[in-house]
Amino acid sequence: MKLALLANISFYIPELIAILTMCSLLFFEAAYSDEERKRTFVYIVGLIGLAVCMIMLVANLGTEPKSLFAKAVVIDNFSTSMKMIMVLGTLGTFYISYKSNDIYESLKSEYLVMAVGVLVGGMLLASANNMLTLYLGVETLSILSYVMTSMKRKDSLSTEAGMKYALYGGITAGVMLFGISHLYGIFGSIHFAEIAAAIPALEGAKLTAAIVAFLLFFVGLGYKVAAFPFHMWSPDVYQGSPIPVTAFFSIVPKLAGIAAIVRVSTTLFGGDSSMSLTWIAFLKVTAIMTMTVGNISALNQESVKRMLAFSSIGHVGMLLMGVIVMNEMGTNAILYYALIYMFMTLTAFLVTCLVSNRYGSDKMVYFRGLVNEHPLMAISFTIILFSLAGVPPFGGFIAKFNIISAAIDSKLYTISFIAAINSVIALYYYLRLAKTMILDPSDGKDQLRGASFVSHLVVAGLTIPVILLGIFWGKIYHLYSFAKLYIDS
Amino acid sequence: MSGILNLILWLPVVGMIGVLVTPKGKDQLVRYISLGATALTFIVTILLYLRFDESNPNVQQVFQVPWIEQFHINYALGIDGISLPMILLTGLLFFICILSSWTITKSVKAYFALLLMLESSVFGVFMSLDFFLFYVYWEVMLLPMFFLIGIWGGENREYAAVKFFLYTFFGSIVMLVGIIALYYATGKGPDSFSILALQGGHFTDMTVNVFGTDFSFEKLFFWSMFLGFAIKVPIFPFHTWLPHAHVQAPTAVSVILAGVLLKMGTYGFLRIAFPIFPSAAVEYSTAIAILGVISVIYGAFCAMAQNDVKKLVAYSSVSHMGFVMMGLAAMTIQGMNGAVLQMFNHGTSTAMMFLMIGVIYERSHHRWIVRPDGTKGYGGIAAHLPRYTVVFIIGMFASLGLPGLSGFISEALIFLGIYQRFTTITVIAVLGLLIGAAYLLWMYKRMFFGEPSDEVKSYSDMNAREVFYMVPLCIAVIVFGVYPAPILNIMKSSVGQLVELMAQFQ
Repeated sequence: MKLALLANISFYIPELIAILTMCSLLFFEAAYSDEERKRTFVYIVGLIGLAVCMIMLVANLGTEPKSLFAKAVVIDNFSTSMKMIMVLGTLGTFYISYKSNDIYESLKSEYLVMAVGVLVGGMLLASANNMLTLYLGVETLSILSYVMTSMKRKDSLSTEAGMKYALYGGITAGVMLFGISHLYGIFGSIHFAEIAAAIPALEGAKLTAAIVAFLLFFVGLGYKVAAFPFHMWSPDVYQGSPIPVTAFFSIVPKLAGIAAIVRVSTTLFGGDSSMSLTWIAFLKVTAIMTMTVGNISALNQESVKRMLAFSSIGHVGMLLMGVIVMNEMGTNAILYYALIYMFMTLTAFLVTCLVSNRYGSDKMVYFRGLVNEHPLMAISFTIILFSLAGVPPFGGFIAKFNIISAAIDSKLYTISFIAAINSVIALYYYLRLAKTMILDPSDGKDQLRGASFVSHLVVAGLTIPVILLGIFWGKIYHLYSFAKLYIDS
Repeated sequence: MSGILNLILWLPVVGMIGVLVTPKGKDQLVRYISLGATALTFIVTILLYLRFDESNPNVQQVFQVPWIEQFHINYALGIDGISLPMILLTGLLFFICILSSWTITKSVKAYFALLLMLESSVFGVFMSLDFFLFYVYWEVMLLPMFFLIGIWGGENREYAAVKFFLYTFFGSIVMLVGIIALYYATGKGPDSFSILALQGGHFTDMTVNVFGTDFSFEKLFFWSMFLGFAIKVPIFPFHTWLPHAHVQAPTAVSVILAGVLLKMGTYGFLRIAFPIFPSAAVEYSTAIAILGVISVIYGAFCAMAQNDVKKLVAYSSVSHMGFVMMGLAAMTIQGMNGAVLQMFNHGTSTAMMFLMIGVIYERSHHRWIVRPDGTKGYGGIAAHLPRYTVVFIIGMFASLGLPGLSGFISEALIFLGIYQRFTTITVIAVLGLLIGAAYLLWMYKRMFFGEPSDEVKSYSDMNAREVFYMVPLCIAVIVFGVYPAPILNIMKSSVGQLVELMAQFQ
């Protein structure tokens, strides 16, 4: 038995490599004395570590899905694909953090250690197959996130955001744990599969108690993905955090949370018991409210970072819509959306980071006439904005198309219409920024600092996939069609 | 399989790439490349016309390759008698627009590149036989339009560009839900995105549940398509974006907008909304006819109240597109033929009007018939600019529907068609013609007669380039006014087939 557990490790190599990377980053951080050389070196170590991690994930793709460590984690193609997107996202934020003035000066490379730490938590969350692993994942994600938020040490907004995040996170984690303990009391198990098997037999007071307990349990997950009504922390935290951290928060914890919600929903509530119907009805309301509230709140933001934060709440609503579908189409659509969303978010934040480096602020006015000084940056960002809004022929359109398709396939017409209307609301604020960058005259600004050739290359390199995935998406979509969710019984 | 449609579709894109790779500062070269690309495209559209089989009501020159196989999405192109006139019109108008844009000096490269991109996407809309492809082109068209209005437009251009984009996007995203719903309603089969296979009223008996209530599938999604197309046409009450977009857009973009893009809306009705949901279309034809007649009257009254001559012509487009909608709602042979002919004729006559306004704007830098402070804007042009006056008169009378010029025939056909079904509406709509004549003649009187002011005296008459690009339109307006048979022959059999289909559901 013990040997069998040990043998499981061979499927857990990507996570181990990520942990190893984190440890070696800590080690090299301490070992070097020359600050500048250390910085470069540490970045290279981080890059290599995550690249290896990525390769290992790719190697895991083809294997049979299985549950490891006494069914505590599941390795299947869905979780592996999600992890790949998270690792790519983390790599992208490395570059932003390398460029960003927000962290530099006071902190040199601590960002990497914590980002990889959160990534490990995210990977755990994406594979979690019982309540405790899930809780562990959420907490690993959260605790490091609080620190990352306050990385701009001298900035009062950043400190405030860190405090808010920690308080909010602490409370929701407590509520979640409270729910989990109830669930254990009701079902006598923490394994998803065992709970799922017991759900149909529930009735009377036990059923009511279970519904309440599941809702409490959802609080923790909802807070992690910033779903309505647990999204209150997110704008302040996003605005207060340094830009690379904001970019990171909009990708890794969100996608990890979505992956967990997908697994919980599909494993626990796949049947048509009254419990499942309640859960889905609840998710429906949450999805509708999340996208609507997110998009409406984004309308009049002056801070681009804050606008992107609200817009990412809107996107979570779309992703939740994919969860409600509860079938393979839904998960495929979610994976595709996550991939595109990762590219779009990275580009958006990289350009925002460069502008904010130059002006010390990410207010929309500083984007005025960007196209005159940096045509490539402005055009790429504009493409990204159109893509975020879901205008063809860009990837964001296909992502939305797939999610709405999955919903309509399951006869969810109401939510599809609401999602469609939401796209129009979202388009307004994206257009506002696009208009500012392209149509408004510039006020004779200087070149952006740090907008080197490499930055241009990175921006182009992140935008091109968004265009290609909008036109030739058949192949990638086909790849995802085998990314089935594994439900062990 | 035929490549000629691909040639038309991608020639502008080749031109666009050519424009983009031209080194900085070679503006004149950029203009010639664009001119060459559009001229070649126009020549190919004429070749397409020569190869067109007028007796065949079905789509021709089909080109189809799989695009996304899992969803059965194809890159499918084809034309029939309804789309060919639009393609000819598009080819001609873009060629003329490049010529009329010769004087643009702000970011020349970007301007011509966007214009060429627009041309390609417009062709895409008129050629697509695949619903997904259609939607992609329908939306892609918004991007160049947004920038063309927003960068090269008038004072309030940004507001106009954003409003245009939002309005159209709203309509089309609601349409997208309909497209996806159709895909699943047909069982995700190999023909689920094929516009032609969806036609014929297969969805009459299905129901859907939205907002907790059961709706008829056919009716619900007819309206979702209706919204998308009606905003584009635009039919009252969805027309409010149009005056802003027109007034702010640069001349060439106004020409394209009025000449071609508005027709995409009515084309959508002809190709998609009517044949796919025939019984809903028949059921609601009265409502559509009423909205059409409101557009006619309301647009005409709005036009009469304008002091900005471009806004006046913009509202006249609302009015004239109302006639097209009435013709469609009639669902009779004459009405439908009249509608398609009116789409073509309005394209040429309104393009003339906008071009002529552009010509005078280049000299005066204002467009006031009467300035906001009550003083006279233009006046006495007739005495001073003879060439301009002659061309303007031709365009105006074509627009007004004077017998012998193109507008008359199509409007007469529409009235013939609609009288059989909606007598009252016809009577009211005839009043629209009267108001139309009134506002155009009144405009003409105020702009052209009287003593020329010193400012008007300083204007130069049309130069050779301007005369050159107006000539083809003058010819089209006169020739098709006297002898509309060439255009009618193209569309006759395809329109006949559509009318037969609609008749089955009446």
